[in-house]
Amino acid sequence: MFTHTVVRTLPVAHAGGVRTPASVFNEIFRVFLGLGTLVGVVVVAYTLYNAYAYRDRGEDPKPEMERPQMGELPTGGGGGKKLFLSFGISAVIVLSLIVWTYSTLLYIESGPDSEVVQENAIEVDVEGVQFGWTFTYPNGQTNSSTLRVPRNEMIMLNVTSGDVFHNIGSPELRFKTDAIPGQHTRTWFVGRQTGSYEANCYELCGSGHSYMNATIEVVPRDEFYAWYDDTGTEPATNNSSAALAAGGA
Amino acid sequence: MSELPPKSSIKRWFLTTNHKDIGILYLLTALFFLIFGGLLALLFRVELLSPAADFLGESGYNQAVSTHGLLMVFWFISPFAFGFANYLVPLQIGADDLAFPRLNALSYWLYLFSGLLFGVSFFQGTTFAGGWTMYAPLNTPAYMPGEALGATSVVLALIMFVAAVTLGSVNFLTTMYRMRAEGLRMRDLPIFSISINLTVWMMLFAFAALLAALVILASDHIVGTSYFAYEIEGSTFATDANNDGASMLWAHLFWFFGHPEVYIVFFPALGIMGECFQTFTGRRLVGRKWFILSMVLVALQSFIVWMHHMFLTGINLNIKTIFMATTIGISLPFDLMVFSLIYTMIKGRVRFTTPFLFSLGALLLFILGGITGVFLGAVVLDYQFRGTYWVVAHFHYVMVAGATALFGGLYYWYPKMTGKMYDEFLGKVHFAVYFVGFNLLYFPMFIAWETPRRVFNYPVELTVWHNLSTVGAFVLGASFLIMFYNMFVSYFHGEEAGDRPWKYATSAEWAVSSPPPLENFDGVPSYASGQLEFLDEAEVAQRQSDRDGTGTGGATVADGGTGGTATDGGTAETRSAETGAAGGTGLATAETALATETGTAEPTAHDGHVSHASIWPFLISLGGFVLFLGLSGVRTGSMFYESLALVGGVVTFGSLVGMAQEPFFAPEPVIAERWPYGGVEKMKLGMWTFLASDIVLFGAFIGSYAFIRFSYGWEAWHELIPEAHVTFPGLVNTYLLLASSFTVVLAMVAAERESKWGVLASLGATFALGIGFLINKGIEWIHLFNLHGSAAFPEGWGITTNLASSTFYLTTGLHAAHVIIGLVIVAYMAVRTWGGAYMGNEKPIEYFGLYWHLVDIVWLFLFPLFYIL
Repeated sequence: MFTHTVVRTLPVAHAGGVRTPASVFNEIFRVFLGLGTLVGVVVVAYTLYNAYAYRDRGEDPKPEMERPQMGELPTGGGGGKKLFLSFGISAVIVLSLIVWTYSTLLYIESGPDSEVVQENAIEVDVEGVQFGWTFTYPNGQTNSSTLRVPRNEMIMLNVTSGDVFHNIGSPELRFKTDAIPGQHTRTWFVGRQTGSYEANCYELCGSGHSYMNATIEVVPRDEFYAWYDDTGTEPATNNSSAALAAGGA
Repeated sequence: MSELPPKSSIKRWFLTTNHKDIGILYLLTALFFLIFGGLLALLFRVELLSPAADFLGESGYNQAVSTHGLLMVFWFISPFAFGFANYLVPLQIGADDLAFPRLNALSYWLYLFSGLLFGVSFFQGTTFAGGWTMYAPLNTPAYMPGEALGATSVVLALIMFVAAVTLGSVNFLTTMYRMRAEGLRMRDLPIFSISINLTVWMMLFAFAALLAALVILASDHIVGTSYFAYEIEGSTFATDANNDGASMLWAHLFWFFGHPEVYIVFFPALGIMGECFQTFTGRRLVGRKWFILSMVLVALQSFIVWMHHMFLTGINLNIKTIFMATTIGISLPFDLMVFSLIYTMIKGRVRFTTPFLFSLGALLLFILGGITGVFLGAVVLDYQFRGTYWVVAHFHYVMVAGATALFGGLYYWYPKMTGKMYDEFLGKVHFAVYFVGFNLLYFPMFIAWETPRRVFNYPVELTVWHNLSTVGAFVLGASFLIMFYNMFVSYFHGEEAGDRPWKYATSAEWAVSSPPPLENFDGVPSYASGQLEFLDEAEVAQRQSDRDGTGTGGATVADGGTGGTATDGGTAETRSAETGAAGGTGLATAETALATETGTAEPTAHDGHVSHASIWPFLISLGGFVLFLGLSGVRTGSMFYESLALVGGVVTFGSLVGMAQEPFFAPEPVIAERWPYGGVEKMKLGMWTFLASDIVLFGAFIGSYAFIRFSYGWEAWHELIPEAHVTFPGLVNTYLLLASSFTVVLAMVAAERESKWGVLASLGATFALGIGFLINKGIEWIHLFNLHGSAAFPEGWGITTNLASSTFYLTTGLHAAHVIIGLVIVAYMAVRTWGGAYMGNEKPIEYFGLYWHLVDIVWLFLFPLFYIL
């Protein structure tokens, strides 16, 4: 009773305010898509315009211009300044985009700023084998093909393979990482909304590659911990008690 | 033997060593593989009409996608580009042929037979089904159904292909640095030739790394080593650990090759775009100097971006950042090149001929593909694009944009090669159907990008996009029927094209008849006056004596000399055609004959008639095909495969000797630009280029060993090695090899001094020391194989025992193979010495010495790594 009261005042391992990898990706993708389309349209249009505007009409419109002669030693056609201007502009655009995404790369790599959120992340071991996925929770419980996680909590996946090179990713939750035998890779996500999400294998791994899917079930926190504490081979951790005491999110 | 039958005779095509013929052979064969790979694609596009496993089945689908990729990347697109390179580069640089014509033919036949071996793999159970990227350990026999012989054949076919490519790189590099017309500096070459030059530089180094990966993989398949196997069965060692580094080793080796490869694929197309934009806009390429510099930068940078294919493999953040930076860095020169092409149209007189339509179309497609590549360079986005159709769509846009330009090249040079003009209306129709089909096929892949790669089921809501792609695939495929029809019919009924059907074309191929005569030029091409002209014999003799008159023959650089002449300087290469032949005689042996292109004939026996025919390249390749086919199945112990391997081996070896014996006269030009290799003879340059590739090969092997060992645990590795594996045999071998290098130098000196017995004694000593090396190694290996009674290694320490044994035997085995080849050459040279060769001409021995010293130096690296550390 006393313990619960004390625990109730501890900060909640709540990742509800965290920027999810999904939202990060969507934002960057949209910006790139917009800018890329714009650049593409402009450059293609400019190219086609020039091709049309300078089409051969029988007479040489610029008789003073030296045209290529048979057997000549090559020289450039001039116009270097304009070339460098365009090159400079495109370089600036490309470099700015990349520099901008670099900060988000750091975020994805290191995870949310909040120490509390990180410390309270649920670490799940994932192993891929031909042709399915096994998920092992901190309390030792194992599940094949379905990963059940609580909503609004940071889930850290520690991924490897038991046989060949696989890759696990979820299009909606926006996590993805290679599953390599002998190596461990990590990725993380936060499920904002309850529901069932699909995870697929993204590296050709044999004849069952197309079928190598898993389901990620994001459930309300109290429902998760009710299930979680009932399972496993180790006693429930402080995290789960705190979460339970704090009530569902 | 050197007389070439007419073009109408089938026999000619088996014998020819002429670059134009070989170019045609490459073009036709590559188009065959285009159809082969294309049909495979149509098969799985039909499969993809609905999200389920239909008629192909799971395994069939994986085989189809994998072989489609392999065939298109290796057997179609680069060989197609090299069909043009073969035909045009000598013409564009003013040479009569490539430096080593028989090697050129050999490259072609090895290419063809490697493709045939690939075709055979479909009939050996299942063919390779692990994706064109062949990731480990899926690429090992453990993960293949049945005997997996088809997969082994594919690996061997690739090895044969790489041999063809390596010979080609040596050939083109030697040609372009030794046989340029007077006044033609490297930077003056036509853009297409420059692009080929950079392509072969990249090929030389990139394919050597792939060769290492493939040889190791073949060894895993055939011999049973465990480089790429993760799970090591029947562990007899304490730690009982698996091979943690297996997957990552393959990834590094493959992508170190794989990234330069995509530029190897694209650069010739870029070169053709450069040519076509200049010719059909009537304007010189804008910023040509910067265009060339950009290409050089890309070629260099291509070797430092490979880990962008591995962003999700768990490499650390610092490395990811570096490769993100280099990847974006490599996109920048392309920006410049794209703008350069666009600006070339301004103030031009643009004619929308079929070649130009394809080049312009290629540019537009490349722009789209390139923009989507920037997406992939943003690591955060790449994380999600990995393994999806975004990647598939991106690389098809850029690579097939390259192919688009190559088809433009086919139309551009068709009149030159056949003398007939293709039908322009049909050409335009082809382009229209092609362009529509292309975009219908690949653009929906961006929309349906969430689909994982290499799967046959996908979210139902994406069905419409996949179906559009399938329709586009058939439209694109159908467009080729128009092209084939046009090319075929025009050959018989097309209008006469004349020398130069394209106004504003400037390069030398347009100065000769269509098709060009066998010897290419009437007279000797020269740009010394600032303009292409053809010198007659008197003028050539005059220039020779002028150069002789300048004295020492040291490198004198005359940049922009009088009268607009620009020479590269270099030494006064005034050897006459006769002495050119003399310089090459003597070293006509199994391996180096391939590099020397001369036979055993003495110059006086020649009538000065240039050779154009040899049956040996065909026979060597045929033997190689049979040998490799046999090797694919020896693992099963089958009599059939073993016999094939034996027969193939004999035919190959015999044909190599035959080629070495053959009199073949391929002279160098009398006057030429040779910068920066003016002082390096043709054979020597060829040998050095070949050795550069060999160095990368060994580097990759040593790197692989280090990588595997680090992953396992550098010190823990010692548990995998029996105590009986001591330093002493290695030390003895080191002394033997060092001594043998010395005796080779003695042989060279003896030849210089025309001492026949001196040469024989030195070669004999070299041979004896080499045999001593092999015998010593044999004793060591047999001892290790038979370590009975050892607790840790009850069955001995054989090749397949564990990781340490795999790496030890294969790496030192590769080295031993190099020693054996060297000894064969030594024996051959001894026989020739007996017959009076090399007296006063020590050069062939010098070239062999270079090879032998490399073998020696490699051992100096292997010895500490495998015996001491």
